[in-house]
Amino acid sequence: MRKKRILIISCIIFTVSVLLVACGKEQKKIKKDSSRNSNGIVCYVGHGFWERSLDPVKGAFSYGYDFINNALIRVNAKSEYEGDLAESWEISEDALVYIYQLKKGIQFQDGTEFTAEDVVFTYETVMANQGQNENIDLSKLKKVEALDQHTVQFTLTEPFSPFLDTTAQLGIVPSDGYHSKDYDQRPVGTGPWKVVQYDTEQQLIVEANENYFEGAPEIKRVTFVDMDNEAAFSNAQSGQLDIVMIQPSYASEVVNGMHVEKLETMDVRNISLPCRKPEIITNAKGESEEVGNIVTSDIAVRKALAIGINRQEVINHAFDGVGKPAEGWTDHLIWGNTIEYQDSQVEEAKKLLEEAGWTDKDGDGIREKDGVLCAFKVYTPSDEQDRYLLAVAVAENVRPLGISIEVKQTTWDEITKEAYCEGVVWGYGQYSPMVIDSLFQSEHFMIQAYSNTNGYENERVDNLIAKAISANNQKDAVAAWKEAQVAYAEDYPYLYLVNIEHCYFVSDRLDISVDTQIPHPHGHGIPIICNMKDWKIRQ
Amino acid sequence: MNQPTNIFWNQKETEDQPIDIFWNRRRKTFLSIGIALLYLITMLLVGLLLRPESYGVNYNAKFIPPCLKHPFGTDYMGRDMFFRSVKVLSNSIVIGILASIVSSLVALIFGVVAAMKGGPIDGLVNWCVDLCMGIPHIILLILISFMFGRGGKGVMIAVALTHWPELTRLVRAEVLQIRSSQYVQASYRMGKTKFQVAKSHMFPQVLPVFLVGVVLLFPHAIMHEAAITFLGFGFSAEVPAIGVILSESMKHIASGKWWMAVFPGIMLLLAVLLFDLVGENLKRLLNPNSGNE
Repeated sequence: MRKKRILIISCIIFTVSVLLVACGKEQKKIKKDSSRNSNGIVCYVGHGFWERSLDPVKGAFSYGYDFINNALIRVNAKSEYEGDLAESWEISEDALVYIYQLKKGIQFQDGTEFTAEDVVFTYETVMANQGQNENIDLSKLKKVEALDQHTVQFTLTEPFSPFLDTTAQLGIVPSDGYHSKDYDQRPVGTGPWKVVQYDTEQQLIVEANENYFEGAPEIKRVTFVDMDNEAAFSNAQSGQLDIVMIQPSYASEVVNGMHVEKLETMDVRNISLPCRKPEIITNAKGESEEVGNIVTSDIAVRKALAIGINRQEVINHAFDGVGKPAEGWTDHLIWGNTIEYQDSQVEEAKKLLEEAGWTDKDGDGIREKDGVLCAFKVYTPSDEQDRYLLAVAVAENVRPLGISIEVKQTTWDEITKEAYCEGVVWGYGQYSPMVIDSLFQSEHFMIQAYSNTNGYENERVDNLIAKAISANNQKDAVAAWKEAQVAYAEDYPYLYLVNIEHCYFVSDRLDISVDTQIPHPHGHGIPIICNMKDWKIRQ
Repeated sequence: MNQPTNIFWNQKETEDQPIDIFWNRRRKTFLSIGIALLYLITMLLVGLLLRPESYGVNYNAKFIPPCLKHPFGTDYMGRDMFFRSVKVLSNSIVIGILASIVSSLVALIFGVVAAMKGGPIDGLVNWCVDLCMGIPHIILLILISFMFGRGGKGVMIAVALTHWPELTRLVRAEVLQIRSSQYVQASYRMGKTKFQVAKSHMFPQVLPVFLVGVVLLFPHAIMHEAAITFLGFGFSAEVPAIGVILSESMKHIASGKWWMAVFPGIMLLLAVLLFDLVGENLKRLLNPNSGNE
C-alpha cells in the first residue's frame, strides 16, 4: 500500500508541479532595491553574458560596439566604420602595414592615460594567448609597434583586408592594470560603462563612466539580470524590468507600461543544402565519414526550393510576421550583396523539378527520381525553439512542391556531424566578411567544424575570395566580396530565408534611441546595449 | 490458493450499508478493472490508428482556447491538442508495455535463478539489484538514455532496462519462501524433477505477485518516460510525447495559454491512476492475502 501511495503522490506532484512551474518562476523576483529608479534601469537581454569571461582579450564583446572597452574603430548606424579610440587610419599600398592615429586625452576607468602602448599590449597579449580567443584571429599579424605616444603600426605577414574588422572587434585593455583573472569579471576599459558587480549567472551591474571621452551616459546604473525567457516575461508583466528580450511569438502580447520594439539585425537564417553527391571521405584524422546528399546535390532541387518557397508566409507562420524575407546577406552589411529574386514561383519550381526528372509517380505527394524520394532532413539545435519553428514552417511551405523535409532537433555535437549529409538551420550575422570565406571556400570542407559543411566547390568563388582578402583597400575588397556572392548565388548552396529582427519589451519611461542603434549582430538579445550610452529616462 | 477467493463471497459489509447481492465487492472490482482497461485500450488503439493530419500543423488555427471544435485547444503551430494528447498517450502506453515486458522477463529470470541456484549467483543478482536501486532512478534513466544517443531509442532502452530490480526482489523472495516450504521439499523427496516442481508448485504461487508487479510497473514506466523527455533527455521535439508537450507548453504558460499544459497533464494523470487501479484490484483478486498487509 505504501508503494502505491508513493506512486500516486509522486505522479500528482509531477503533473501539478509541471502545471505550476510558471507560477513558481514568478517567485524569482528581482529584489526591490535602488537599482530601478529615476536614473537606474534593470534589463534582461538573454543569457549571452553569462557564458563567458568579460575580458576582451578572451573574446568578450567583439561585435563592434562600445560597452566596457572600446576598440580602435567601430561600426556606426549606417554600418560604416568610424574611428573609436583611433582618430584615423591608413593602409599601405602593399596592404601589409596599417597605421592608426589615436585620439588624445582619453583615460581608462582606473585613471591611467590611454596611449599607443596599451594598444600594443592588448594585441600582443591576444597574439600570445590566441588559444583563449576564438573571436579574434590575429594569426596574420606579424608585429604591432608604437611609433609614438599616439600612433600604432600593425604589420601583417600577408595582405589580409579583413584585418580592419578585427580592429573594430578587439577592445583595448590598459597595459598597467591588466590582470587576466580579475578581468574575467571586472575588466577595466575606456568605455562608457564600468563594472560594479558581477555575479555569474545572476546579475551584472554597470555604472556610468563619468569621464567617458564622448560624455557621460545619462543613465547612471544598469543592472542586467539572468533568468529564463518565461520568467523574464512574468517579471515584465509585474513591472519589474525596463527591457525584456522576447521571442517573436511573444511580440503580440500586451504588457502594461511597456511597448514592443522590433530592431533590425544583420542576422540571417538559412538552411545549408549539401552540394556533394553521397560518398565516403577520409578526414584529416584518418576516419572515414559519409558526406553528401543525393537529393540536395541536385541543383534543380536547390533552385526549386529557393524560388518556390514563399518566404513571407514562412515568416508569418514561424515568427508571427517578425523579420524580413532574405535571399542573401542583408544590406546592413557593407559587403552584403542582396541578390533579390522573386520567390513563391511555384509553377516554375515544379517545372524545374519535372525537367530534372523528379516526378511523383505513386501519387503520395512526394516526387521521386530513379527510386529516390525527393526528401531530406533538416536539423535544428534543441536549445533554439525559433530555428525549429522556422524549419517546420519551411517544411510545410515546400510540401506542395513535392519536396519532403523532415525536421529534427538535436544537440550541436550531433549537428556538426550531420551537417555534411543533411540540411541544418544556421544563423549568421557578423561584420566580418570572412564568413563568406568560411562558408564557401572549397578548402574548408571537412577541415573546420561549421565551415563549408555543404562541400561547396567553385573555382571562381575561391579566386574572388582570395582577391578580396588580399585587396589593399576596403573598396576593392568589398567589390570582390560582392562579386563572390553573385558567383555562388547561382548555385544556391544555402536556402536563405529571413533577416530576423530582435524583439524587446521596452518600458515606456525609457528611450533607447532607436536612431543610433546599429543593426544588431548575431548575439541573441545582447546587441540592444550597443548604444546604451545614448539612452534616456523620460521624467 | 484455491479457496481464498471465497473470502470475497462471504465478506461482511458494514452494518449501515445494506448488502447488495449483485454489486458485491468482487463484481465492483471487476467492473472497475473493466472500465480502466477499456479507457486505456481505447486510447492505445485510437492513438495508433489516428491519421497524422488530425494533429498536423495548421498555422491558421494558432492558440485557440478550448472550444467545441478543439476540446483541448490548439498550440503554437495550430495543432489540435486533443488528438495530439491521444496520440501521445498511446505512444506512452506502447512504451509502458515494452518496458513491462522487458523488465518482467529480466525480473523473472533473475529472480528465479537467484532463488533456485543461491550462492554466488544469488549474491551477484542481489548486488545488481542493489546497484540499480542505489542510484536515483531518474539519474540512471538519464545516463542510459544519454549513452544510447537520446531520442526514441535512448528513452525506450532506458525505461525498459531500469524497472526490473524491484520486481526481481519480489520474485526472488517469493521463490525462496516456497522453495523451503514443506510440500515442495516433499515433492523433491517423492522424486519430482526441478522442472516439475517449478511448473506445478512454484509457477502458480509466483504468478499473482508477478502479474500484479508487471501491471504496477506500467505507470512507473509512463511517468519516467514523461519525466526524462520533459527534462530534455528523451524524445526530441518532432516526436509526439507527453514530456515534449509539457515542456513546450511551459514556454507559453506565462502568457496565459494554460490549456496546453492542463489537459495533457490530466490525461497523463488519469492514465497513470487507472493503471494503478487495475494493478491494485488485480492484486486483490489474485492475491487476497495482501488485504491483510
